[in-house]
Amino acid sequence: METLQALADFVEQGKAEEAKKLTQKLLGQNVSPNDIVQKGLIAGLDQLGEKFEKFEAFVPELITAGMAAQATLAVLRPKMTAGSLHKVHGTVVIGTVEGDIHDVGKNIVAMMLEGGGFKVIDLGVDVPAEKFIKEVKYQEAEILALSALYSPTRLAMKDTLKMLVDEGIRDNIKVMIGGAPIDQAFCDMIKADGYAPDAPQALKLAESLVAGSSKE
Amino acid sequence: MKEDQVYKDRREKINELRAKNEKMTSRERALKAINFEEADRVTIDNWMVPEIKKRCMEYWGCENEEELLAFLGVDVRDNYGPSYVGQEFKKFDDGTVADLWGVRRRQVVYGKGTSHEGIFKEVAWSPLEHMTTVEEIEAYEGWPSPEWWDYSKMKEECEYWHPEYFVLNKGDRLDRTAQLKPMMYLRGIQQTFVDLAQNPKIVECIRDHIVNYFVEYNPKVFEAADGEVDMFMMGDDVGGQRGPLLSPDMWRRYFKDGFRTYCDIAHKYGLKVMYHTCGDVYALIPEFIDCGLDMLQSLQPQATNMDIKRLKQEFGKDLSFQGGMDIQQILPLGTPDDVRAMVKYAADNAKSGGGYFFGTAHNIQADTDMQNVVALFEAYNEYGVY
Repeated sequence: METLQALADFVEQGKAEEAKKLTQKLLGQNVSPNDIVQKGLIAGLDQLGEKFEKFEAFVPELITAGMAAQATLAVLRPKMTAGSLHKVHGTVVIGTVEGDIHDVGKNIVAMMLEGGGFKVIDLGVDVPAEKFIKEVKYQEAEILALSALYSPTRLAMKDTLKMLVDEGIRDNIKVMIGGAPIDQAFCDMIKADGYAPDAPQALKLAESLVAGSSKE
Repeated sequence: MKEDQVYKDRREKINELRAKNEKMTSRERALKAINFEEADRVTIDNWMVPEIKKRCMEYWGCENEEELLAFLGVDVRDNYGPSYVGQEFKKFDDGTVADLWGVRRRQVVYGKGTSHEGIFKEVAWSPLEHMTTVEEIEAYEGWPSPEWWDYSKMKEECEYWHPEYFVLNKGDRLDRTAQLKPMMYLRGIQQTFVDLAQNPKIVECIRDHIVNYFVEYNPKVFEAADGEVDMFMMGDDVGGQRGPLLSPDMWRRYFKDGFRTYCDIAHKYGLKVMYHTCGDVYALIPEFIDCGLDMLQSLQPQATNMDIKRLKQEFGKDLSFQGGMDIQQILPLGTPDDVRAMVKYAADNAKSGGGYFFGTAHNIQADTDMQNVVALFEAYNEYGVY
């Protein structure tokens, strides 16, 4: 639909006010919240993600698009009745690991995941392994997403994964990791389920991890 | 230096290589390199966290940092600038401490109880973060003054290292000449990115305050040094792991003029300019060259587009380089053979025609095993020879 494309463009361009107003208008036209999320928010984030991959969009654009997506969700949430938003995909517990206080990248990923239809519980920064474990159990989360900026602090991801194993819940959850010092080799080394080099790819990874999971 | 046999044995390889390869002082060597001439070997620079320095001193039997650098063949000596004599940095009940700009930091411990335990000072409060107007920012009472420094010891502190060593004036890590980094400290990283996208007047206001400070400060530093500084270093992170943090258009719009001004000031005092930035800045390198930059530092190899071979081929006529040693994967997780191969690759591809200093992309981190640090410095001395 033409106006859903306009919403996608507003999200891509980080125009939060315009996105909010158009969302209200679309709801008034009885466009379903699910369509707004899929063809407005996710489509807009995907458009931006493609530009980011080609080095045509950068961090300021990712952040403002994420904020526009969050502003749109704030309008949508009260309208969700049965089949509420977070069941579109699943629940993600996200945080920056213990000893690391960097969160800009993690915040962009959280915004993208939420805009992409996940329920996101953001535990913030300097999060000990115990806190991650407690939250994923409480939320019955499908995904645990861990972030680190430094090479010494990424080692805390290993501790968190070990704790999931020790608690007997490793098989119940998918673990995705990201941050500047993270690569596929590190992901394989600590036996995480996936790694994404940036926020747009993190959204795609999260979607594929829940699609591959037997939980629904 | 400790003379027990165990330390002598550990020091033997580097001592032998240096005795065989070195034919000039560190200063002569580095000056040749920055002037695109081949010396006797590649200039060695060194960035390490304090935890690693301590381990190195213990391993090689050095009593202090000066002995360590002298033994390793490190040619560059860092000058951190004048002494601070301004108002005392305020301490707060929550354990944070204010800096020159009024930004508050606290110490964060990582890897507690492990072999890679360390401490970083991290920003805990940004004074401009919640301001919404240019007027509020203009009215901020924390803008620093170049009058808060005592420049009188600059010359003697730099002269101390001459004639043997190459003196790099680099400022304190938290107060290095920059534009975006202090803006991020003052305004918060996330809000700064939002400003770049949506609040141009705020970006310009903060940037102007920062640039005006350094434009007054640096000439005082260079005058006080009276010819005893060999090179000036500025540092401002504009690269991410994938691509620059901001578009080239945005960098040109907000930061190109200030970057050029900083280079011009140093050049006016006869100093070449080194510029540190983490991350992928490939798309910005032509801009840096256009502004008169002499040497690009870091060359973070795991970032996209920062392969040292490619950088030397494409830009090596106009730009010299320091860095290319990987602290994200090879040094912390690789083998000593991986480290040696990394040094050899950089030497083979960057040392020709001078214009290159060995260096790690940033500080060697506390998660690096000693065997890899040993391999790094032995390889520098082995593969750097012309």
